[in-house]
Amino acid sequence: MAQITFFRYIHKDTILHRMDPRLKLLCLLLLSLSASLAAEPCHYFVPLFIVAIALFAARLPILALLRDMWFFALLIIIVLVSNAFNVPGDPIPEQIFGTKIISWIKLPDTLRYPEFILQSVSVQGVVAGLRFAGRLILILMVCTVMTGTTSLLAFKNTIEWFLRPIPFIPEVRVATIINLVFVLIPVIFDTYTEMMNAQKSRCVGLRKNPFKRVSFIAFPLLSRTLRRADEIVYAMESRCYSETRTRAEFRTNKIDWLVFSVCLAILLFVIFISE
Amino acid sequence: MAFLEAKNLTHIFPDGTVGIEDISLQIKEGEFVIIAGANGSGKTVFIRHLNGLLRPTKGKVFINGESITKNITAARKKIGLIFQDSDAQIVGQTVAEDVAFGPENLNLPNAEVSQIVKESLETVGLFDAFTQNPHSLSGGQKRKLAIAGVLAMKPEIIMFDEPFTALDYSGIKQVLTQLVELHRAGHTIILVTHELEKVLAHADRLVIIHNGKLAEDGKPGDVIFRAEKYGLRMPLKEGEEISSATWLR
Repeated sequence: MAQITFFRYIHKDTILHRMDPRLKLLCLLLLSLSASLAAEPCHYFVPLFIVAIALFAARLPILALLRDMWFFALLIIIVLVSNAFNVPGDPIPEQIFGTKIISWIKLPDTLRYPEFILQSVSVQGVVAGLRFAGRLILILMVCTVMTGTTSLLAFKNTIEWFLRPIPFIPEVRVATIINLVFVLIPVIFDTYTEMMNAQKSRCVGLRKNPFKRVSFIAFPLLSRTLRRADEIVYAMESRCYSETRTRAEFRTNKIDWLVFSVCLAILLFVIFISE
Repeated sequence: MAFLEAKNLTHIFPDGTVGIEDISLQIKEGEFVIIAGANGSGKTVFIRHLNGLLRPTKGKVFINGESITKNITAARKKIGLIFQDSDAQIVGQTVAEDVAFGPENLNLPNAEVSQIVKESLETVGLFDAFTQNPHSLSGGQKRKLAIAGVLAMKPEIIMFDEPFTALDYSGIKQVLTQLVELHRAGHTIILVTHELEKVLAHADRLVIIHNGKLAEDGKPGDVIFRAEKYGLRMPLKEGEEISSATWLR
């Protein structure tokens, strides 16, 4: 888990790393909103392009991120295929721009292209699949930029800042809980990997009963996680944890406002073209 | 008057297990005390009472003559504890954030927090790792980070719970050097360990806890020859002086 790069803060000195996290969180919301409002797959191009620029500007290890996110690619393919086959609608036209689609795909003569597959795919299904895939890719990219350039502490301080005006919500406690969840998740993954390896080395794979195998890992993992949580609580208490803490200071500069304006413009653009 | 005093401390866990029983101990300002004992003897349970992390079933802890329960935050500020598992102590995503956790809890102004973080990291020699992810540090560096996190609270007493566990030779030397320097700088040091051969030469006093009870308390030179009786390895070979029981050579 320590090697996994996605959804993890990677310290660099870039405009996005230095950006006011409050505005960054608002940008995340604006771009997520753009993703959910876009009506056609082509409407994602502008936001995708802008977020791709942000990904490069943040100097995040893009290749490592892509490698670590392979299972999202699998998810996107499953979504595309299941939508294409399951959403009812018009069949794919035999010819596009005067050319037979089948003729586009070069296959050896020995392999006959199963044309019925193409007949079961609907145009609306393909569009719906592309729309969903575009939405997922955009949200993933936005979240990667957000988490890769914002430290957990900055994120926690931002949540605290946004919750502060809301009555009856203990903002410091809520922010601390969120912070601890993010601290504990990698720890739980590390512990799981360690335990799994220990059990594999004792031939747990030979056990045929899957429930038994799950119970071998689940109960010790739960008990160790709870013990670990206890230790973290002790460590926090011994460093005088208090809800009356030093409040974070935020600094907003012109570039931050510019980035925010670009995100706002993207949302307005998506709303405009979707109508 | 003792600087830190534990009076008749007893801790019984909810399942009836006796953690510690009737331990009384007085520690003077500037002392370097080693608390030794076999695994499960109650050392960790005992020191967790000294800064109020555990509440005793019976007995009290006093700092400068005042019960720590009167102002637990003040007591925890004065008595820093470095845990056995440094990873469990990490709450920040960068080294600086982690060190800032304590001073921020004390609600100090931001400028002061930054200054304290800088000073603490410089003291332990971790300033270059300011922006690094704490989990990517080596074992010795993680322990140094834990020390910096405690130093940021400006404590008078620093307690180390098994600081040499899971460290390689160079890591142990780094932590030991830090420990000796902190004592030289005037901090009172309480060190929980069973690895006496690494550190005994630097201690003013050796306390042995056995089966939850205070078994021995005295100068290292007087107590050490009875250590094996309590499941501890004798750190000295025949004819060796106490001063040779250190890894700082």
